[in-house]
Amino acid sequence: MEQITAYKCKKCGRIHYPKHERCLTCKQREFDEIHPEGDVKLLTYTQIFNLPWGFDERFLYIGVGQFENGVKAMGQIDAPDGADLQPGMTLKAEWRPVRYVFGEPVYGLKFKPLS
Amino acid sequence: MRDVAIIGVGMIPFGRRDEDTLVDMLAYASLKALDDAGVEAVDAVYVANMGGGILQHQTAVASALVDRLSLLPAAADLVENGPASGGSAIKNGVLAVASGYYDVVLVAGGEKMREVSGWRATDFVATLTHPEVEYPYGITLPGMAGMFTQLYMEKYGVTREMLVEISLKNQHMGALNPYAHVEMLITREGILDSPHAVVNNPPAATPLHLYDLCPVSDGAAAVILCPLERVKELSKNVPVIVAGFGQATDTHTLAERDDPTDLKAVTLAAQQAFERAKMKPEDISVAELHDAFTILEIAESEHVGFFKKGEGGKAVLEGKTRLGGQIPINMSGGLKARGHPVGATGVAQVVELTWQLRHELPKERQVKGAKAGFSINFGGFGNNVVAFVLKRGEK
Repeated sequence: MEQITAYKCKKCGRIHYPKHERCLTCKQREFDEIHPEGDVKLLTYTQIFNLPWGFDERFLYIGVGQFENGVKAMGQIDAPDGADLQPGMTLKAEWRPVRYVFGEPVYGLKFKPLS
Repeated sequence: MRDVAIIGVGMIPFGRRDEDTLVDMLAYASLKALDDAGVEAVDAVYVANMGGGILQHQTAVASALVDRLSLLPAAADLVENGPASGGSAIKNGVLAVASGYYDVVLVAGGEKMREVSGWRATDFVATLTHPEVEYPYGITLPGMAGMFTQLYMEKYGVTREMLVEISLKNQHMGALNPYAHVEMLITREGILDSPHAVVNNPPAATPLHLYDLCPVSDGAAAVILCPLERVKELSKNVPVIVAGFGQATDTHTLAERDDPTDLKAVTLAAQQAFERAKMKPEDISVAELHDAFTILEIAESEHVGFFKKGEGGKAVLEGKTRLGGQIPINMSGGLKARGHPVGATGVAQVVELTWQLRHELPKERQVKGAKAGFSINFGGFGNNVVAFVLKRGEK
């Protein structure tokens, strides 16, 4: 997924997303830029009913997932009300509008259950 | 460094205060604290506020407050540290007095959140999330807590019954607290057991329900600090000594934590506070923990050392955190019932503990013979945390 850039520490290998100027673990300052690859393992999620300003939906599913190359990221989950979501399940990641500001789309991660 | 004492405290009832501006509320609470201490002038003022610039379109609130109170030419600073602004402001006040630079310091915390819609208030608090990798998705603080709760339940066996028990306890205490936003009593049947409970207590951010969340509130609280060596000269109150404080940070995003259930900043802030106070968790008589969400009362009680990991929820069911229990927690009703005007909360916790340690509360809320108090003010989703250990001094 080229739209997202994560940062792998050249010294200790820790993957950072978003960007840090120094490695969270070893404090070193040089990173290789990498992109999330593969499917996503759902780590945790929530279904939010009281949404902030800017969302017209009745609810949102939001989760944190881990890509096959280790990048962890938050994203919306595209699933109907009552969906049987479980931590550990596999999701597919897409780059799609996640909200609209003054009619203009804001793009981000959308996870979709594979089955 | 000098020892620092709290010689005056003040608070106004939290809730919906349409008639008051942000500065009105800060001024009313500050006057109460000044009168309680019996002092007329201060050297410096620290104001805790998170949202004046966003919600009221008002900045430089500390300058406005010293003018309103005619405390000129006292030094004045605004401290914005998200929901931990109150704790941070007190910490800065304590450091200023401890260093010897200032003698008498007013710390006031306040927030006015009810004049905007729930949508706007939720959005305002969510501005503390990461602006690129969290906020755009519509994540809210209840949403963060929902994800945390799912992980905590899975790892430590926390149950919905345990969370409900905290709601019941804290709303019971809130109903006894004239400063609390939520004074309504609730029952287990009404929010859990009844077939209609889902109507009263719908899901808010799964697995959390409405009654797992604190309300959005207006309110303010204030404290007066001075060096311990000047207490007898300045005030007639029993001094409450700031025996220790701690502050620690963690990653901005939840996703970057190696173990998102490990609230490292809570543990570190508490350890620092206990170490500086030369005290241990078992020395504490009463605690005010940052229960913006019921799960946090359990998680914090474990991370600060009141209970082992995985035992905080059981302790709640066994009544160990109730009045008369092993460690009474949130005898004010906590954020859950007193309310959570974000900039005021950390100050309100210290005001409540001061009342407890001065033995001034009615018996239905007073921890008998309380000698030491502890607070956790939890900023962000645990990425900036302030802890205090307070102890009763000699009059």
